Amino acid sequence: MQRRSIAFWLGAVVFLAAMLAMTQLVRNEYPFFAGYVILQFVVLAVAWTILGGYAGYVNFGTNAFFGVGVYTAVLLVKAFGAPLPVQIATAAVVGSLLGLGVGLLTLRMRGIFFSIATIALAIIIETSITNFRFVGGAAGIQLQRPPVTAPFDSYVKMLFFVQALLVVIAVAITRGIQNSRIGRGLHALRDDELAAECTGVPTLRLKLLACVISGALMAAAGAPAAMYLQYANPDSAFNLNYSVSVLAMALIGGTAHWIGPVLGAILLGATQQLLAVTISSEVNVLVLGVMLVLFVVAAPKGVIGLVQRQPKRRGGSK
Amino acid sequence: MNRRLLLGWAAAITLLGLMPAARAEEPPIRIGMSMPQTGGLAGGGKASLLGIEIWRDDINARGGLLGRKVELVVYDDKSSASETPAIYAKLLDIDKVDLLFAPYATVPTAPIMPLVKQRGLLLMGNFSFQVNSKVHHDMWFNNAPWGPADSWATGFLTLGQKAGGKTMALLSADQEFAQNLATTARDVAKKLDLNVVFDQAYPPSLAEFSSIVRAMNATKPDIVFVASYPPDSAAILRAVNEIGVGDNVRIFGGAMVGLQFAAVMENLGSLMNGVVNFNTWLPEPSMYFDGTKEFFETYSKRAVEAKVDPLGYYLAPYGYAMGQMVEAAANATKSLDQKGLAKYLHENTMQTIVGPITFAENGEWKESSTLEAQFRGVKDKNVDQFRSPGKQVILFPDRLKTGDLITPFEKARE
Repeated sequence: MQRRSIAFWLGAVVFLAAMLAMTQLVRNEYPFFAGYVILQFVVLAVAWTILGGYAGYVNFGTNAFFGVGVYTAVLLVKAFGAPLPVQIATAAVVGSLLGLGVGLLTLRMRGIFFSIATIALAIIIETSITNFRFVGGAAGIQLQRPPVTAPFDSYVKMLFFVQALLVVIAVAITRGIQNSRIGRGLHALRDDELAAECTGVPTLRLKLLACVISGALMAAAGAPAAMYLQYANPDSAFNLNYSVSVLAMALIGGTAHWIGPVLGAILLGATQQLLAVTISSEVNVLVLGVMLVLFVVAAPKGVIGLVQRQPKRRGGSK
Repeated sequence: MNRRLLLGWAAAITLLGLMPAARAEEPPIRIGMSMPQTGGLAGGGKASLLGIEIWRDDINARGGLLGRKVELVVYDDKSSASETPAIYAKLLDIDKVDLLFAPYATVPTAPIMPLVKQRGLLLMGNFSFQVNSKVHHDMWFNNAPWGPADSWATGFLTLGQKAGGKTMALLSADQEFAQNLATTARDVAKKLDLNVVFDQAYPPSLAEFSSIVRAMNATKPDIVFVASYPPDSAAILRAVNEIGVGDNVRIFGGAMVGLQFAAVMENLGSLMNGVVNFNTWLPEPSMYFDGTKEFFETYSKRAVEAKVDPLGYYLAPYGYAMGQMVEAAANATKSLDQKGLAKYLHENTMQTIVGPITFAENGEWKESSTLEAQFRGVKDKNVDQFRSPGKQVILFPDRLKTGDLITPFEKARE
């Protein structure tokens, strides 16, 4: 194992240990409520980067995958009373299948046309769920949490740790892709798809793979949200805000390296949480807008673009 | 030196003298809530908050609650269910508020119900609909005049049946609130033995209703129950104005959201004539209770500064009443103990500016006060006309009634 890989996995273990220790030591529940949302955005932003950052296909349908995750969990709870790990695993499978379907239907489109198709996807799925009465339809559905599992003393703390686990999985997968042939292939097709195709890069297969993995991670991130809110309705689960926020997080952090969306999600997610309980008015929407404009103008490559003074000669910084 | 010493002692004694007074100054009672101030529910949320703020200022002017000033801790939930769990966790764990009010509407409230139940906290609801039906929290008190779940449809459909209606058309938006009402309307229609000849849910983004209105007309319904949101309420009325609904329709309306808000009412003007629709408060003689007139005098002035609904009939007085109920319970029990307050609220009738309020076991009003009123003689582009009685005549419930239904609908539109 390379030295950087050892450092990464060591960091992941330390991160998870710290999150677990926090759930055991901190009695106040607010940090877990707020932290859960930030971690959820980290998973979404990292998952978005696989397709949107590495392959350059801007996906506006994050809310579709997230909502599918939420409603897969709702369906499993309502129909079978399925436990949380089953909800997450099934959501990931459903998300990956949706990613495959979406990829097959839309990945032949490029640029703005692909983005519009992903928005349409979210609308189609939301309309379907709105008419699916078993999961509450338009009226939404309230859910009861099962008893919490040891060593956690509250369900929110458990969900917080589960989301931290998903962060590690999502980052590890994204990092793995970035440093592999897949990542280099995706970079090649982002720079010039035709040239990549001509040089033997299997572009459609790679894009499909990116779509499948990205979709699986986004849906997995959505699954615990059903139990976090103990309520689901189509408006909230398929809220376009998820797509816009995730896009902004990835752009603010930078999309060339897996650390970019992580930083962006922490920065923007924390700011959103802070503004919600400080300024708490229309102004917080303005602040986020201004932040995005400033970053796009002053740091088009995001936070990591600011840190890395010179671009690396070879893709795949570890 | 002696003079300095003397001055020093004098200052120390003065400070000591002030200390008991400072100790006696008790910290304020903090009431925490989230309120939609941005997003789709913001219009209602801001008006509701203004009503609560007027109560806070009134009670503070009277010396406070239990001798302590009242302070509101309010955060914007952006009209979203996903924001409220973290906000209420902060209110409880960081801000350490003494009491909780729920945000306006069902969706932002639903996720906090399990939290308050888990922690055994009193929660004053704010215009939610059946949000406690599955949670069964015994310290929930919904500050909304809905009463039993089916009362809404019962009022309208009973009026229609009394006017000779035998068949019903149901037109509803595919959204949370409208679908809840549509479900109860179907149940009530069954109970009243009304034949549902048309039942159509439409997507919330629909803007053109002429084809739906034509399809509905083809079924020749006697009663038309509409559960819609502001943009579609306006679009439906425009389509009806162009196409008409025929003389067979005895009564039209029911649950059209938007026709309670000044901006929409001003915009639609005479198009609303004849429509029988729900409301929660109206400037009719039967609706004035102790303090109602004074409240609206204050509200009218402050609404201009706050740039919220200038009429504020739908939500604002209920915001004030929410404070009044807490005030009555705290004064009677002489404490802020949440269990004691809940017990008082369950067992007593509270006198408020929207009338006497008694809660049922499930935390909803024991008796519905949801009004069904008919628009009459409304002119275009004049918001002030709605401040006078007679523009929305109350037909239901009987104890608040100020007139009889004009039927058929086409005649009432004239």
